Amino acid sequence: MDFIVSQILTGLSLSSILLLVALGLAVIYGVTGVINLAHGEFVMLGAYGAWLLQTQLGLGLIVSLIPIFLLVAALGWVIEVVVIRHLYDRPLDTILATWGLGVMIQQIVRLTAGGELRYVQMPPSLSGSVNILGATDSAYRLFVLGVALAMFCLIWVIYRYTSFGLKLRAITQNSGIASCFGINSALAYRVTFAFGAGVAGLAGALISPLKSVSPEMGTTYVVDAFMVVVLGGVQSLLGTLASSGLLGEISGVLAYYSNDTIAKALVLLAIVIIIRFRPQGLFAPRVRA
Amino acid sequence: MSGKVSFQILTYGVVCLAILLLPIVVDDAFLLNKYSRYLVSGMLAIALSLSWGYAGILNLGQATTFGLGSYCMAMYLKLKTVPIHTGSDGLPDFMVWNNVTELPWIWVPFHSTAFALAAGILVPALFAALLGWFMFGGRVTGVYAAIITLAVMVVVNLIIIDQQSYTGGFNGLTDLAQFELFGFEFDAYSASTYYLVAIGLTISLFLSLAVTRSKTGLILQAVRDQEERVRFFGYDVALYKTFVFAFSAAIAGFAGMFYTIVMEFASPTFLGVPLSLSIVIWVAVGGRQSLLGAMLGALLVTGVQGALSESETFLETWTLIMGALFVLIVLFLPKGLAGAFSALIDRLAPASRAPISQAVENSPKAEAHIGGAA
Amino acid sequence: MNTSREPLLSLREATVSFQGFIAVDHLDLDVGKGELRCLIGPNGAGKTTTLDLICGKSRITSGEISFKGVPIHALKEFQIARAGIGRKFQVPSVFRQLTVRENLSIGQSRATGVLHNLLKFGSNDDRSRLEEIAVLVGLRDEMETLAAHLSHGQTQWLEIALILAQDPALILMDEPTAGMTAHETAKTATLFNRLRGKHTLIVVEHDMGFVRDIAETISVMHQGRLLAQGTTDEVANDPRVREAYLGSGGIGHA
Repeated sequence: MDFIVSQILTGLSLSSILLLVALGLAVIYGVTGVINLAHGEFVMLGAYGAWLLQTQLGLGLIVSLIPIFLLVAALGWVIEVVVIRHLYDRPLDTILATWGLGVMIQQIVRLTAGGELRYVQMPPSLSGSVNILGATDSAYRLFVLGVALAMFCLIWVIYRYTSFGLKLRAITQNSGIASCFGINSALAYRVTFAFGAGVAGLAGALISPLKSVSPEMGTTYVVDAFMVVVLGGVQSLLGTLASSGLLGEISGVLAYYSNDTIAKALVLLAIVIIIRFRPQGLFAPRVRA
Repeated sequence: MSGKVSFQILTYGVVCLAILLLPIVVDDAFLLNKYSRYLVSGMLAIALSLSWGYAGILNLGQATTFGLGSYCMAMYLKLKTVPIHTGSDGLPDFMVWNNVTELPWIWVPFHSTAFALAAGILVPALFAALLGWFMFGGRVTGVYAAIITLAVMVVVNLIIIDQQSYTGGFNGLTDLAQFELFGFEFDAYSASTYYLVAIGLTISLFLSLAVTRSKTGLILQAVRDQEERVRFFGYDVALYKTFVFAFSAAIAGFAGMFYTIVMEFASPTFLGVPLSLSIVIWVAVGGRQSLLGAMLGALLVTGVQGALSESETFLETWTLIMGALFVLIVLFLPKGLAGAFSALIDRLAPASRAPISQAVENSPKAEAHIGGAA
Repeated sequence: MNTSREPLLSLREATVSFQGFIAVDHLDLDVGKGELRCLIGPNGAGKTTTLDLICGKSRITSGEISFKGVPIHALKEFQIARAGIGRKFQVPSVFRQLTVRENLSIGQSRATGVLHNLLKFGSNDDRSRLEEIAVLVGLRDEMETLAAHLSHGQTQWLEIALILAQDPALILMDEPTAGMTAHETAKTATLFNRLRGKHTLIVVEHDMGFVRDIAETISVMHQGRLLAQGTTDEVANDPRVREAYLGSGGIGHA
């Protein structure tokens, strides 16, 4: 029993990280159709932000979250203005441009902060552990799970119940017609991109105490995030939630039974097979093309 | 029309000739080895230009097939080292370290020169044919096809690293024998190896030119423009795309074999994400819709990079510059330097257009013509 | 009707539904060899969908479509095309980055094999045929022009020329005169009258003047079904047709 609960908790923790990392990508991809290959670098920047604020200004992680969100969102805004907005009608080129941007961000971090691994301290108040049904789990991991769910709910509410969300839904249906009704889709895209980037930064800051921080860390996360989005279905927030839950639990089990490399290879093969046979995702309804 | 074609063949020929004659001027073995590496990148650029520039298939995993070719050659050259770098049973040294007792069956046929040379081209081609059939048969296109090629490359890379006892794992295959053909030894640091690679490049370039100039090449360009429409003329689009995907893989595999000879080892980095990104950058810089442009783009970028690589700090900055250059090219010069060059030619020599516009007799057509061109 | 001719194409109970919306509903249609059939009907009658079903762009949910007596509805698009059915689309879909000559060469699709076409380099044997087609549609002087640089009318002609180069037994034309001037429409009518007999044509058209100029038999569709069929006058005087067109100013002004 303890074993099962602790397996489930491990899986939930992985799921919450996946959800956090994937939310930003899902929002950007779902609304603007841009596959942002620099997404992992946004996550990495968030982690470095946490490290920088902690080592230079002595700020605690929780206090840092809001400035990190704002900074990475601001960077996302700038990138959208300078690069992305010219490429909305050239989807293949957005992959290339965001790939190039990712390389640049990674290299800038390497040149300024150095290539060595960095570590971020957990907030002392959350460094203890909690007993759940006989299994113990770190309080911080539960906190991350809570934040991930809260972010999800926030985005859900914005998308479903605010007038901005309504505009976004109109734009995703048909951006041309939406503009005819006076919806400023250019601005909506910009806000979305910046928001997605900010969420990625937040995710990076939150996972920084759990993993080591390095310039290359983003590469893994972009793959994971993409996997979650593809599996869940583009434009399906609930799908993103379901697929990160599913993937987290599966990778928890896989990591327990087999080695890490093969688990990674299997995850990638699963992406390939899903794209080929169900490009609309596992959890999204089949719609007429 | 035919004049244009012969001009193209002439240009390609002159460039290849210049490359082939380079050792007359350069007599430094180390430089020639470096240049041979650049030529290999040129071959990779040609391969990507075929699939991306002509058929619209953005292969983000071009290095996969390159690596497969390179490993085929390395396996062959490793077995040639028997008994120097081997254990008691004639096993490659790293297998002995990994407690392998018998030569694995996939290694056995690589004792044969003919098999190894054929495998270096056919293994990548078959791999790509299978992947192509899998993707294009299911009508996976554009961004999704790009992502699949990327994911598949990472999978192959992970498998090679994981299966250490068969592949040498993270270290790759090192301490190889020298390549020998018809009793002639190709020292990696010699003019002979340079000539070998230069000939390989010339063959790849002209074979690819033939493909793009054939009706199949034309149909592929039509697929790039309007995939859906081509089907209704009775062409099996998936088959055409699979063909060019496999052909491009064969050239990449061919390049991979040369790379092993030049570098004297094979490593999992040969099928890594950084190399694949570099190939895309070379082709984007040179111009994806021109084989020669893509090839020269590769020579230019790797050449500049090589010249700067003496200082370590600059190499770090170089990656940053490459990233920035790439973003700029994607934004402002989608057809690369070759596209910019031919636009310049068109502007400088409007005479070539004159006969066409003079031939337009009735004015509405002429107006439309000018309007369309503007 | 047309019992003297053997049917080249026949649809039996052809039905397609898109998520419950029945776009074509138990449609029976026979088109004889060498016939020029006009398919008309109010907006949303299922005309374009019918063409889509014939050429394989959409799939029937039930029923049967046979061509030369062989069922084709399960074949892939390229197989249907190889069987001898060509399609001109409503939205011009020429290859914009290729020249007119290259476009026509793509259209000439007798040989469809990859390897066969790999050994073919702008060979001369079919060149005269391409020139002939170019003259027919008035694009002879534009052979080396990129299709992207053609005017709208010229693009429509190129689209038609592509079909002529393909030379299929059955040609499906979706609104061939859309966006054409009156002069160009008349020219198209002349061309179609020349094609009849050698080719079988199904033409979806809104321009009734044009239909009068070319039609021998008109099939009228309404709400996915065949409403009426006959000569121009028979159809124009059919009360059911008048009713279907109610509100759109009558058949003559559709």
